[in-house]
Amino acid sequence: MRISLNEIKKLVPAAAKVETAELVRLIGSRLVEVEETIDLAPKYQNVYIVKVVECEPIEGTHLHLCQIDAGQAVPVQVVCGAPNVHAGMLAVWVAPGAIVPQTYGEEDFKLDVRKLRGFESHGMLAAIDELDLGDDHEGIAEIDPSTDNPVTGQNVQPGDNFADVFDLNDTILDIENKSLTHRPDCFGLIGFAREVAGILGEPFQYDTCVAEQDKGQQVHIEIADPSICPRYSCAVLELKDADKSDKYLTATDIFLAKAGMRGISKIVDVTNYLMLMTGQPLHAFDYDKFLTVGGKDTATIGVRLARPGEKLQLLDGKTIDCIASDILITSGDTPVALAGAMGGASTEIDVSTTRVLLESATFSLYNLRKTQMAHGIFSEAITRFTKGQPACQTKSVLDSAIVMLGGTVVATGDNYAKKSTPAAITVTATEINSLLGTNYDAALMSKTLTNVGFEVIIKPRGDAAGGTPSARSRQASTMGESAAAGPVGFTITPPTWRTDIHIKEDIIEEIGRLLGYDNIPLTYPTRPFIGAHIPELLQLKNKIRDIMSGRLAAHEVLTYTFVSEKLQQDVGEDATDSYKIVNSISPELQCFRQTITPSLLEKVRGNLKSGHRDFALYEINQVTKQSYGKDEDGVPKLYTHLAYVTTGDFYQMKAALVALLEDLGFDADKLDFRTSDGHLPYLEPLRSTSVTTPHLCAGEVRNSVKKRLKLGAEPISAFEISLEQLLADLSESSKKSVKLSKFPAVTRDITLKVPAGTPFVAAKQAITEVFERESLIIALTPNSIFEATKGAKYRNLSFHLEFKSAKKTLESQEISDIMEKVAENAKKSVGAEII
Amino acid sequence: MRTIEKIKQEIKALGAEYAKIKSLAPEERKAFGESLNQKRQVLDRELQEALDAAEASTVEPLDVTAPAAANANIREVKRGTKHPLMTELNHILDIYAKMGFDIMEARQLDDEFHMFESLNFPEGHPARDGYDTFRTEEGFIPPAHTSTMQHRALKAHKKDLKNGGQIAVVIPGRVFRNEDVDATHEHTFYQCEGIFVSKDATMGQMLGVLKRLFEEYYGQTLKIKTQPGYFPFTEPSLELLIEKPQSLGGKGDGWLEMLGCGMIHPNVLKMAGIDPDAYKGFAWGGGIDRLAILKYGIDDIRYFESGKLDFLKEF
Repeated sequence: MRISLNEIKKLVPAAAKVETAELVRLIGSRLVEVEETIDLAPKYQNVYIVKVVECEPIEGTHLHLCQIDAGQAVPVQVVCGAPNVHAGMLAVWVAPGAIVPQTYGEEDFKLDVRKLRGFESHGMLAAIDELDLGDDHEGIAEIDPSTDNPVTGQNVQPGDNFADVFDLNDTILDIENKSLTHRPDCFGLIGFAREVAGILGEPFQYDTCVAEQDKGQQVHIEIADPSICPRYSCAVLELKDADKSDKYLTATDIFLAKAGMRGISKIVDVTNYLMLMTGQPLHAFDYDKFLTVGGKDTATIGVRLARPGEKLQLLDGKTIDCIASDILITSGDTPVALAGAMGGASTEIDVSTTRVLLESATFSLYNLRKTQMAHGIFSEAITRFTKGQPACQTKSVLDSAIVMLGGTVVATGDNYAKKSTPAAITVTATEINSLLGTNYDAALMSKTLTNVGFEVIIKPRGDAAGGTPSARSRQASTMGESAAAGPVGFTITPPTWRTDIHIKEDIIEEIGRLLGYDNIPLTYPTRPFIGAHIPELLQLKNKIRDIMSGRLAAHEVLTYTFVSEKLQQDVGEDATDSYKIVNSISPELQCFRQTITPSLLEKVRGNLKSGHRDFALYEINQVTKQSYGKDEDGVPKLYTHLAYVTTGDFYQMKAALVALLEDLGFDADKLDFRTSDGHLPYLEPLRSTSVTTPHLCAGEVRNSVKKRLKLGAEPISAFEISLEQLLADLSESSKKSVKLSKFPAVTRDITLKVPAGTPFVAAKQAITEVFERESLIIALTPNSIFEATKGAKYRNLSFHLEFKSAKKTLESQEISDIMEKVAENAKKSVGAEII
Repeated sequence: MRTIEKIKQEIKALGAEYAKIKSLAPEERKAFGESLNQKRQVLDRELQEALDAAEASTVEPLDVTAPAAANANIREVKRGTKHPLMTELNHILDIYAKMGFDIMEARQLDDEFHMFESLNFPEGHPARDGYDTFRTEEGFIPPAHTSTMQHRALKAHKKDLKNGGQIAVVIPGRVFRNEDVDATHEHTFYQCEGIFVSKDATMGQMLGVLKRLFEEYYGQTLKIKTQPGYFPFTEPSLELLIEKPQSLGGKGDGWLEMLGCGMIHPNVLKMAGIDPDAYKGFAWGGGIDRLAILKYGIDDIRYFESGKLDFLKEF
């Protein structure tokens, strides 16, 4: 929304005395975020109002050679191609050296003296679009000679500054609409200005809800349900020149242009002007067409919800299928407009219109919000309606329109179906100060509220809970706050336009905001000596990140929570078990992921493509699927997974996995690597494993999956672990303290020749169990696994052994005995031969 | 310098001198012995230096700029990286924890009740549109803000209010908005929410705590300012801005919008079973991505979820 500071200053005299920068700062800190401040003055520098003195056609062209009076001693020559240029007219001249306003701040097209068809042309006579005040390029802008120049106080004269005459030495504020969602009143300049007055500590004088009078015949208005339309006011006007566009560029055109709107026709311009001033949108029907549609001599206006299957052709030519929550305006029972959103084609005003039916109504913002979404209508009017325009001003705004349009009132109507009076709120000065952390006195609080239209009844100390009001005033009270006999209380009635004020916190916000949150003294809460609780899962995640990104040299990535159905299918997951987004941006982001590894595989592809080799990625994030069920809140159970993917084979991945688990506190020797349980469908069952404690799956990615994901032929390996499970498993496998032996260790290297197909772990166990039986401490390190040729019958497994007794130094005889037992056991258990 | 041999000879010669002690008068012996001992110490030191020098002369110098010795394998010590968003988030969480805030992580799939109802958004209210939420077929919502966790945090910590206690919790999490992605917009990003409830929480305390948070984060004192905002779940509602810190090139003029905040709406407290007449609270929430973008001068927000090693290896 664009707000003209000059308009605000007209409504709030005190604002005119404040520096623009300070005014903008105050508005920004006490009313609404100002996204941008636009200074219009430089845009209209060297633009003047001039009189065309002579105007001769240039033969063989559409151009005219003009002599213009620019208030200088001699006329200036300008070549003009506009069809409406004529001698005697007042036009707008962009002088040499000036930038064409339309191009200001963009390509900055600077005018000079140039020759056109052999004639010198000094600058240009500008059309509305070139002045950046509209889209019109039919002809050049023409000025009504009776226009006042507010700077000189006289009628406009050739040579007058264009910006002076049309109030363009102005600052426009671009406002963030979102932060005014709850403030329908601020969507009109009057409401906005009232806030500015309040911020400046001044009372605001402008009553939008003036006394109303009915004129002419009564129009019958039937409102089916007051909750969809609390009030509907209307008037039928007979106009002599209903749709005659103004010949001249008017102050209204400029007013609309500053707000980002365009002049269209007199009726539309008046309705738009009043909407911008008051926030109340108006709609104009062709009254005679309205009667024709209804098939009667007198109008019956209906307001009701759409019925199933109802269609309506709108002003923009489109025919919509109404939804059940759409509010329709009907003539008799026939729909003629989509309430709050757009008029219908059948009652559109046009050049032949002589009688107009003006509508000024308010509708349920909830219904209009659905209408807006269903039909994609985002007009200035519906933007205001969906904030909940108050019912109190429909009639007075309509009255202003009647005055501005100046026709004869034929009939009027006003159905105020649902009157709502704001409820009074009681609050004490202490409550206000204790929530804000301030020490404002009661008089200041009261004045702050009354300035912006609240009615405040001050109750003396000790009378806060209720009782007879003892002082009722719109004036500031001098009563201060004192603890002697209890707090000062207020009974506060919000103005009718403040539909957002319901509870005492709303009142506290008004006081805090208008007096400036930045004036609140900063303090700290007092804190007890209690250490912060960091969830175990978060601690585990951070520990894992330290290990993975540290000693394991992996790269942490974050990938999207949502993946495509295609990816899930490609990796063999059951996409029907996924939670699916119905309004996703693209099919790429449709399914809540069940595991993280597939997302990482996609990132491996990208990185291989850009030339990276030999790397590992990991991610810790949430996963779920429907079959996990719901938690006690009835929402899907979520799990946090760690996934790791490396461009290496199973054993490279396994080394990282074991190192991680060891660092986390698991005993590497007790990790039970078993044949895969096929839990992760994208891992090759013959080249993957499952571990029970902690539960995880690890392995090489299936060839078919690699092919579908275009991951090349080299092995890619992955593991994925549920961290909730890992946490539970960790607490069970807490490490015990170790007693160190003070006796020397013996080292031996042995090689077992075992039949191919003997699990490594079995051979290893055949060695270690011998030492365990003898109560010796053994540390075994695999040295190598040797296979002479592929498919050979035997493999040689070499180990480095380091063993000792906790009780004594081992004698050489004892050592050779134990090695003998190892050889025997290896032969017995796995058919191994020591070589 | 004398050779090692020469020094050794001198030591030997000095040894012979000791024999003379016996021949001296008793009163002269002490002084003579001390002078010999001094000479011996000097010679011992000289010998050690000479020996060290001899040892050092066999050491070969190396090229400290080379990655390995000649004919040796060049071994690469690989380096891993942490994601910058997680690093920033943890930095913030560390500060919160030091300030005494418990941490509670947010869910990535939630429901209408937690996203809107529990936060005082009336059913069908246009304020719900501002959040551009995704929805699943079942009507679940990937949260559009971490405020979705407020209700859970209040309920879970309600017991802490007994005996004059407080609720002080921060909630980091991943959030989602249905919007088109470009260099400055992501549909997936991170936020951190905070709530504080006590018998006497004030807006002055809220502003004090938040100012302190950013001062800790940027390591300097900072000016703050506010602008009014609108959130259905806080009343009053504000946006907090901080002075652009020196580390980001601030010279005491520019402002950065950091977060939305406000006093917790009584309906939100009530819904969590906390009496709004007895307890007051404040809540706030802000983006984490922006902190990282500002800190590292990242020119495209899409890098965060790109998984590009070229990007990750910068951190």
